[in-house]
Amino acid sequence: MTPPRPFDDPLSVLVIYQLVAPVVALASIGLPALLGRPLSERTTTRVVGAAFTTSFVAALVTLVMIINRGFAAHVVHLGSMFAVGHHAATIELVADGLSVPYVCFSTGLCALVNAFAGKYLHREPGFTRFFILLALFGTGMNLMVLAGSIDALFAGWEFLGISSALLIGFFHERRNAVDAAMRAFCTYRVCDVGLLAASVVIHQATGSGDFATLFAGTWPEATCLVPGTTALTVSLLLIFAALGKSGQVPFSGWLPRAMEGPTPSSAIFYGALSIHAGAYVLLRCESVLDAAPAAAWLLVAIGGGTALHAAIVGSVQTDLKSMLAYASMTQAGIILAEIGLGLRVVPLVHVISHAILRSLQILRSPSAMHDRHELAAALGGHPGSSDWSLVRLLPRGVGRSLYHIALERGFEEAVVTRLVVLPLMAMLKAADGLERRWTTLLGGGSTEGRMRHDSSGGMP
Amino acid sequence: MVVETVSLAAVAVCTAAPLVGAVTLRLTERRIDPRLVASAAVGISLVASLVAAACWHLGSGRPTTFGPGLAGGSFVLIDGLTAILLPYVAVVDMAIVLVAPRRAFASPGVRRLLTGAAITFATLSTSHPVALTILWGVSILATWTTIRSTAGGRTTARVYGLAMAAALACMISGTTLLVADPPWLTGSGTTGAAGGWLVAIAVMIRKGLVPFHSWYHTLFSGASLATALVVTMPQVATYTAVRLLVGHADGVPDELLVLSNAALMTAAYGAALAVVQRDARGLVGMLAMSQSAMVLAGLSGTVPTELCGALAVWVSSGLALTGIGLVVWALESRGGAISIETLQGRFADAPALAAFFLLFGLATLGFPGTLSFVADDLIISGSLDDHLHAGLFVIAATVFAGIAVMRGWFHVFGGQVTVDAPRHALLPRERVAFTALVIILFGLGLWPGPFVRSLEKVAASLLTSRHHHAAPPLLESHP
Repeated sequence: MTPPRPFDDPLSVLVIYQLVAPVVALASIGLPALLGRPLSERTTTRVVGAAFTTSFVAALVTLVMIINRGFAAHVVHLGSMFAVGHHAATIELVADGLSVPYVCFSTGLCALVNAFAGKYLHREPGFTRFFILLALFGTGMNLMVLAGSIDALFAGWEFLGISSALLIGFFHERRNAVDAAMRAFCTYRVCDVGLLAASVVIHQATGSGDFATLFAGTWPEATCLVPGTTALTVSLLLIFAALGKSGQVPFSGWLPRAMEGPTPSSAIFYGALSIHAGAYVLLRCESVLDAAPAAAWLLVAIGGGTALHAAIVGSVQTDLKSMLAYASMTQAGIILAEIGLGLRVVPLVHVISHAILRSLQILRSPSAMHDRHELAAALGGHPGSSDWSLVRLLPRGVGRSLYHIALERGFEEAVVTRLVVLPLMAMLKAADGLERRWTTLLGGGSTEGRMRHDSSGGMP
Repeated sequence: MVVETVSLAAVAVCTAAPLVGAVTLRLTERRIDPRLVASAAVGISLVASLVAAACWHLGSGRPTTFGPGLAGGSFVLIDGLTAILLPYVAVVDMAIVLVAPRRAFASPGVRRLLTGAAITFATLSTSHPVALTILWGVSILATWTTIRSTAGGRTTARVYGLAMAAALACMISGTTLLVADPPWLTGSGTTGAAGGWLVAIAVMIRKGLVPFHSWYHTLFSGASLATALVVTMPQVATYTAVRLLVGHADGVPDELLVLSNAALMTAAYGAALAVVQRDARGLVGMLAMSQSAMVLAGLSGTVPTELCGALAVWVSSGLALTGIGLVVWALESRGGAISIETLQGRFADAPALAAFFLLFGLATLGFPGTLSFVADDLIISGSLDDHLHAGLFVIAATVFAGIAVMRGWFHVFGGQVTVDAPRHALLPRERVAFTALVIILFGLGLWPGPFVRSLEKVAASLLTSRHHHAAPPLLESHP
């Protein structure tokens, strides 16, 4: 069936609008800022708010229209960005029972967070920067969700990664924020290899990046069109990519630290949308996962393990944002396990409900802490809380061991750092040291410490 | 015929304009603003190079040649590669001229910049082995003199001189043997084979491929950033490899295989080393080494996608790294040297430079919407089509490069404010240069179709030339 041309029908226009609106907002506030003339706070929030709100309305109308069509997928073919030989980067948007609900809740949450942040970040030096990154994130989210090809999905995925890292490091004057941002970015970058490689494998296997060549039928009852070995390879690569974005073991270390960013971005990224990006990709390619049972069981194991790990570690956290981060990780793990078990609508509902609840909790957390302090002051002490715990039912030794493990965050970071990061960095630094000694020897003197203000002989 | 004549004239103007500018500056010492002369000269070159590129696109797609030929090469050759590289180099030179701090123009250095630009334009317009060798020698000597005249640059000049002397020796002997006994001709013997290997070694040294890469870091840390960028961004060694080796791939398959593998290793190794650099110059240097190696690795391939990707990386990484290098230079001119071992807190000092550094960084690490996204997509896909290990090296290089760029950005601009000075606004000429580079990188990234189509034509002609040059006449003469 030949897909309808863009602008042929109202549904296509609506789908395109959902993608274009945040792009226009991004350009409207980004370009003046780049030219040294940033918009006022009020105009900035209005522009971004209008984009997300209208995009949300467009998504709602789209949802009603596709419900009337019995959830039949509507494909909008925007053409090919470039093509060389058999390799073509096509842009196709798909509105179906998976993508449209996702766009609805993501644009809705972005609109709400935009309104919240307009007040929360009032007179903050990085006000415009925050909204540029929020618009970039919204663009990436909508592109990823509406993508009808792995190329467009990967592009949206990358937008999410960079905006996430830059928002974690939003308060860049703080060392912790910068470290947390770098940790998140490195994790993303490593795990993005999975999606990149999956894209290449799909291109090689099907001759195209379009999902229509990878699976046929309407979500959630699509049928995989590639052989079992290809399906297994693609599934494993997609799972690897999802682990990073969704903060799953062994790549979960960045998530609690990501709360270094402003509260509104923490809410939307690590409570609601970004953390579920991995789940979305796996749901989108569910038929491929169905064709690779080994990968599906691996996903169940990782998701279940992460949920258990995060539940235990989260129970000993002493600050509210960390507790919420581990709670998000727990739910994200359960959602991935649900996907691995072959459920489709359940994880989608789980994602939406969890995202809305967690966003509310994170946005409310600063004022909740304030309220609690006021309550404690009025009562003359902290209000009582139940100290009953399931752990108390365990033998004492086991409980203590669990407590120790939880305090050390399951030794996950220690293992990754000691076995991978430190040896790699030591090796690279040793290589760099050898390079410098060799060039010093060649130069017959020291080339160290020769960074300087550019001298008068600065031009060749 | 008219198109060819215009094309030749444009290349002549492109090459001559910087020389005329240099002579003008010499004759009118301090009476005319040197930046004005340099901008006008490079601007004329830019326009002429665009005319040459337009002629190639409008023409039949066949290369335009002029002058005597030798061993399959022409004294003047204007094909798709030249049509792409001339405007690219002109843009790089123009950006350097616009961003260079004022005091850099108070020295004879600007004349050297213009002379160097002319030599580069001439190099990129020839495939004649003897002309290439002579131009190699002239440019190496000019660069060495420049580095030596830079304050504190003697050590760097020595390292650079040693490396380039070896490269030049290999190039002279290699081309001599290649000309005497072209290995792509039937019945060629060990003389031609030795020539091929010597040229390959010369390319490896001048390109800074592992294990001959040590001069790269020294150049960026010890010479001025303008010198380092002018020397490395045009990738003269890659161009030479294309003309003398890749164009005759059937005759020198082993040499190309070694070059390709060394380039792949260098791409990954350079990007990995960039992660642990201690200063911003080192970061730019290692990234430049890695990205330029990726270009050669791609050009050595046999798949059109890979070749297109390599050509796209050539332009995208060159422009993006020029941008980063110039931002670093602008920052140095405002607040001194930039270590990236600790957080430097330069954001409050120069937020606009932070924004441009980030945009150029994104344009280096394959961010969607930039030309590098297209380039990475093509080169990774093509490399994996060609050889699995090649794709894996390229992927490793892109991962490390991304981490290095973001580490550099956070370490330069993150942290408490350390520069005790008023906030530095971006100068208009700097804003023009940076904005133009951003527009090119993002414009070609958002609308890559026409550019990729022209790269496809170039890739097709390169692949075709490999077979056409299987048995060329030893001596050719062109009208």
